[in-house]
Amino acid sequence: MEEVDNILRIFRETREAIHDQDSLRIKKLSDQTVHTATIYQDPDNIIVAVLVYSISKIIEREQYRQMGGWPEFYEVLQKNIDQAISNLEKQDVEAFRLNLGKIRNAVNKISGNLRIYIQDVFIKSGINKAFKLYEHGISSEKTAELLGVSLWDLASYIGQSEVSEAHLNQTMSSKARIKIAKEIFE
Amino acid sequence: MEKAKKYLIFDAGPLISLTMSGLLPVLEKLKQNFSGEFILTPQVKREVIDKPRTIKKYKLESFMIQNLFDKGILRLSSDFVQNQVLEKETFRILKTLNSSFKAFGKNVELIQTGEASCIAFSQLCKCDSVIVIDERTARLLIEAPENLKEIMEHKLHTKINFDKQNIKPLKDLLFIRSAELIYIAYKKNLIDIKDGKDLLQALLYSLKYKGTAISTEEINEISEIN
Repeated sequence: MEEVDNILRIFRETREAIHDQDSLRIKKLSDQTVHTATIYQDPDNIIVAVLVYSISKIIEREQYRQMGGWPEFYEVLQKNIDQAISNLEKQDVEAFRLNLGKIRNAVNKISGNLRIYIQDVFIKSGINKAFKLYEHGISSEKTAELLGVSLWDLASYIGQSEVSEAHLNQTMSSKARIKIAKEIFE
Repeated sequence: MEKAKKYLIFDAGPLISLTMSGLLPVLEKLKQNFSGEFILTPQVKREVIDKPRTIKKYKLESFMIQNLFDKGILRLSSDFVQNQVLEKETFRILKTLNSSFKAFGKNVELIQTGEASCIAFSQLCKCDSVIVIDERTARLLIEAPENLKEIMEHKLHTKINFDKQNIKPLKDLLFIRSAELIYIAYKKNLIDIKDGKDLLQALLYSLKYKGTAISTEEINEISEIN
């Protein structure tokens, strides 16, 4: 796993921010994982990026706390974040991965609507992080593959963003590219 | 193996944006106006037919693209270049391009087999060909790697090194997007919508919102071109 110290710091700060119910801070922490995920593209960094972003969205939505299944989910979340930190401190990456898996599995065990909402948060967080990697220069197909998201979902997400407005994307004049199209159709 | 006079090689993105914009039937009309073949590589076919076939949300879209195959509008690359040969060249391209950019001394893998297979087919077919690709990275990588370097350095806040020599042999590749295809269709009166004011602009915006890497400025420019 790349940059264990960075992930450890992110988890420690995430734990504090969960305690303070500070979703904005968690979102910023999630962004900090994107640089590493872009360069190293290792699954652990990518999973952490998606997980931390998902947590930020879950904490942001106060209404979830009033729903059935919340206390149990929140307990599993806190417990496994504590254990994940402890395992990273011991450099036990395998046990750390198990903790991440347990948080993900806890979602499937929630009863009622909360499960559907939180599952949706995880899916959308994956698409959001795939978009972030695309923003950082990785191709859409590559990011879809890395994040395990649908290229079709990612295409719509990219389309709604401002990423295509950047001048650096335009590598030739509109006329020149139309000329290529016209010539192949002649 | 057959040989066509010219090829339009499709990446996944243009088929996705055309399908989601309801413009896939335009491809059939464009094909009637094209003296060559519209090509899909097996790697791209996986993205636009095989994978979405397993997702309820996109299953219909997968059938719609399959239908173009059944009608012979889209042809598999294997009709023209053996799969084994294409795979070998795809792997070579992938290896070369994905070792062109480095951060902290490590290769940053930028593209995937779909895009690489389009480039590989273009290299192997040895005749007029244009790659239709909507996403920006593969296009920037070949046409303006220094722009991609700048984007990455700005986003990653770190120095990026790139090897120009890796990219140089691919400099002659030609790219268009679904936007240029729709421009051609519009100018040839192949769009089955009554031509109201700003129809071309509306078509281009639809593609943009479905993932085509095109700016508002480019849409305005293309709308003005005769």
